[in-house]
Amino acid sequence: MARKTDAPPVNITINGIDLQVPKGELIVESVKRLGLEIPIFCYHPRMKPVGMCRMCLVEVGMKQPDGSVRKMPKPQAACTLPASEGLVIFTDTEQIHKDRKGVLEFLLINHPLDCPICDRGGECPLQNNTLFYGPSTSRFVEMKRHAVKAYPLSKHVTLDLERCIQCGRCVRFTEEISGDAQLAFRHRGAEMQPVTFELEEFTSKFSGNTIEICPVGALTSSHYRFRARPWDLETAPGICTMCSNGCNVWFDRRKGKLVRINGRTNEAVNEEWTCDKGKFGTDWMNNPRRASDVKVRRGDGFSRADWAEAYAEILERFREGGHEVAGLAGPMLSNEDLYLLRRMFDETFGSSNLDHRMTSVQGPAVEPPSFTIEGLEDEKGAFVFGASLSDESPIVYLRLRKAWYRQGARICVATSRPDDADAFAAVSVRYPQGGEAEFLRSLVAELRVQLEGGRSFGELADLASTLLETRGPILATESLWNLDQAGEVLAQLRLAAELLGVSLNVMALGANGQGAEELGVRPDAFDRTGLGTRQILEACADGRIRALWLAGVDPFEAFPDRSLVQRALENVEYLVVQTALETEAAAYASVVLPITAPGESDGSFTNVERRVQAFEKAVDPPAEAKPAWRVFSELMVRAEPRTPHFSAREILAEIAREVPAFQGVEWSAARDGGVLLGARRPLSRARS
Amino acid sequence: MGEYKLLLRHSHDPAYATLDGYQRLGGYEGLRKALSMDRQQVIDEVKTSGLRGRGGAGFPAWIKWNGLPKQKTKPHYLICNADEGEPGTFKDKQLMETCPFLVVEGMTIAAYATQADVGYIYIRGEFVDAARSMRRAIDEAYRAGLLGKNILGAGMDFELHIHTGAGSYECGEESALMSSLMGERGMPRLKFPHAPLPTISGLWDSPTLINNVETYACAPFILSNGGAWYASIGASTKNSRGTKIFSVSGHVRKPGNYEVEFGTPLMELLELAGGMKGGALKACVPGGSSVPILDAEACQKAIIGYEEMMEVGSMVGSGGCMFLNEHTDIVEFIWRTSMFYKDESCGKCTPCREGTRWMFLILDRIKAGQGRPEDLQLLEDVCRQIDGRSFCGLGDAAAWPVAGALKVFRHEFEHYVRHGRSLVARG
Repeated sequence: MARKTDAPPVNITINGIDLQVPKGELIVESVKRLGLEIPIFCYHPRMKPVGMCRMCLVEVGMKQPDGSVRKMPKPQAACTLPASEGLVIFTDTEQIHKDRKGVLEFLLINHPLDCPICDRGGECPLQNNTLFYGPSTSRFVEMKRHAVKAYPLSKHVTLDLERCIQCGRCVRFTEEISGDAQLAFRHRGAEMQPVTFELEEFTSKFSGNTIEICPVGALTSSHYRFRARPWDLETAPGICTMCSNGCNVWFDRRKGKLVRINGRTNEAVNEEWTCDKGKFGTDWMNNPRRASDVKVRRGDGFSRADWAEAYAEILERFREGGHEVAGLAGPMLSNEDLYLLRRMFDETFGSSNLDHRMTSVQGPAVEPPSFTIEGLEDEKGAFVFGASLSDESPIVYLRLRKAWYRQGARICVATSRPDDADAFAAVSVRYPQGGEAEFLRSLVAELRVQLEGGRSFGELADLASTLLETRGPILATESLWNLDQAGEVLAQLRLAAELLGVSLNVMALGANGQGAEELGVRPDAFDRTGLGTRQILEACADGRIRALWLAGVDPFEAFPDRSLVQRALENVEYLVVQTALETEAAAYASVVLPITAPGESDGSFTNVERRVQAFEKAVDPPAEAKPAWRVFSELMVRAEPRTPHFSAREILAEIAREVPAFQGVEWSAARDGGVLLGARRPLSRARS
Repeated sequence: MGEYKLLLRHSHDPAYATLDGYQRLGGYEGLRKALSMDRQQVIDEVKTSGLRGRGGAGFPAWIKWNGLPKQKTKPHYLICNADEGEPGTFKDKQLMETCPFLVVEGMTIAAYATQADVGYIYIRGEFVDAARSMRRAIDEAYRAGLLGKNILGAGMDFELHIHTGAGSYECGEESALMSSLMGERGMPRLKFPHAPLPTISGLWDSPTLINNVETYACAPFILSNGGAWYASIGASTKNSRGTKIFSVSGHVRKPGNYEVEFGTPLMELLELAGGMKGGALKACVPGGSSVPILDAEACQKAIIGYEEMMEVGSMVGSGGCMFLNEHTDIVEFIWRTSMFYKDESCGKCTPCREGTRWMFLILDRIKAGQGRPEDLQLLEDVCRQIDGRSFCGLGDAAAWPVAGALKVFRHEFEHYVRHGRSLVARG
């Protein structure tokens, strides 16, 4: 909520200290300027204040013209009270201490006090506030209210109604932030409960956040429940790997194992939210199918090998392999992995057959995205084309929704299927699947008509006129390369962007897909020529390529043409599979090299808005698993004597020196908030 | 002094609920007169009349009427609060059933004065007859061109709708009523100084005037007879003008609605209702269940008037006046009141949600003979922790009767906790 404000300053007094704050700032925020704290439960800075819990009561007065202070008869909730000229606030009076005790006594009469077995115990706002401000004993001798315990709202979220203090944070989150409004209060008075409508499954794509903002242990994670106590946890700053948005997260570990992922605040990226895919969709975490040993094929089976043996075999096949060797890179490889992978292919293998794109077609390079996630909030609109943002780019989706919810931005959506964004879109238009190019041609035509003062009828005309009025960035994803007429679609999108004078942003989908683009992990980068993914697979299938390296990617899962993948992997003579899990592709491997999973190494990713963000190792990798860059570095050293790389930080420094786009990127800045690549132009006027 | 039938003057006459009868008996003179004046003059007339809100708070009506923007930038809304839920109050029910056109005309006058486009009558769900009566009246008014477009040819448009509630006491609180009307859960919204006044931003964030049924029903008389005339009624009081309908119930011979002039002694109201039944007067709750209880001695002194009633420690409230005879068990009476508030707390804020239930549990234990001496202090503390700390007035309304009874009839509570049973023998 603390966004830039142009409200005029007003003079207020807090506990006898005079200060100036912007008019309308909530008193609960103003006190922070003095380093004071007002205890809260229901108030959350990212949601509208409601004043439900009454924990933040303060005494309020108004300065009179004669300098005296006239106190209001009743205490007021600081979380809903806007600052105005002459306001006098007392947060530390006898009466307020009493009122806080009173509210806490009320909250605790029905709270089960099962803190010793509660997930929240140790990091619980109710516990903390009680310790600081509460009464030490209760005068309540009646029967406590009993309610459902351990009710599974969904496979991720378990509700313990007895612990609920009815602050409404979760309900408001689903209304205001995620927008699915799946939680609501039912019943009233002391029986009031936050539940899903008709107790159906809580299917919100952002449900995990309600667990984190719950000020008690009422909403708990079904996966983390009873797994650890907060004081047993150690944590490391991580970057989510489930999509290209690059959410900042905490990887919490207990006894060397990851036990949960929580959102980490980064105002520019995810604020403090995560999506459920990132928070719960972690199939690599403690997975029993984890690849942990180096294995080489011996006859029909594999036998364990050591790294030296594997390296020797690989070098024999790949060194100076030229156009007969190829590599495919996965979406979770870090900038450091990708940089060394490309250098290894360039310098040691002499091959440009290297690609990271897993779309059906590999087209020419597209201009990098120029929007920023935070900047979306200031847009008057945006045009989402052919993307289901809530699934593909959940954090971009939340920002767009916020832009609409807070600033009334008019979002236009054009997709072939109904989309979550329809709920708040100013215009949503459907086109038939396969009709993308035709649809865009009509749109461009309509834009031209309207630019010349005409206008047709129908939804296309509405779309065009809204786009012309709002002039927000065009957002599409790299999945457009899966379309039959991808080239034409892109050309029309460019035309539309030019007519509108806005930026066209083709967003990467993989965690480091943008990084791979920036670092040239594609056959046509830096004026080279090689084969793209589809051509590589075809060349493998017909024997033109003899050795293939799969670095952290299973094309069976990632590439749309399954039969081509199968023919390729069956026919290629030599296959290196570098993987964290025992994937389907690993069954075809000549050599399996275990790599680290997320949270097991240092590194950095470049997210969808070209923000380089570093992450740190949270847990040790199992057995022999290594970060991919270390394998590349070791192989290069074996091929010809050179200085090996010792750490991800060192490689990032080298990238900053060698790759122009990364100039000036430093590890510490990349870790603390991230570094945006490229000079940022004003958003909407990026292309002219 | 005494009974003064103004609003209820024709309430016995079925014809008064028809447009013909209503107009024959002087109806719509007020509106005609209003339409011949300019808007500000109408508001000034209401100001002169000294009319105060009849819903319970007694807020000067003209300030609200005058508070809507004069330069219209958004639609203006008008709401009639007919969610009469205060236990002991049933005046709005009778007004709507027998004098529906008073409400329609009053609202139309207010709509003219405030440039409102649309009005809503939020009627308590249980009041089926009242809703039907209002429906008939509105339909008739539409047919006669007294609602809708170009009312009385004066170029004024006003649409009037009925919305029936779903059974929540809280929805009688004006901001919760607006939430409910907008399709949200019936919970109160932020109020001044935390949010703009409803007259600036109310229903759908638009300027909204919200008044009680009885308040609107006064408007036709103020306009037709003049504000000064209205102000002459009840002039003996400090600041209460006109008449007030009291719903008299309890141990009286003739319970019902009685309209009296402000300044009338409370005991005179009791006489109007036929006097006590089954025993001498012991206590009175003069303004609906949420106002503090008065003992017989205070009743003797009480004068009906907003300030006058405060002087004896209670309030005019909504006019739900319950007289209790000497055989009433005050503890049980308060226990029942407290059960109501426990059930009706909306659950939004901690003090009311948790406090009303706790109060009820303590009273329930005392009534069952399990009270402890320290419970009375505890009850008082809980009342103090609710009063003024809750989000809306419901918390206060739940705390006042308990705190009031603990003060006035403490000996009855003490008897309960000491002996485990009531002080009064059942009559």
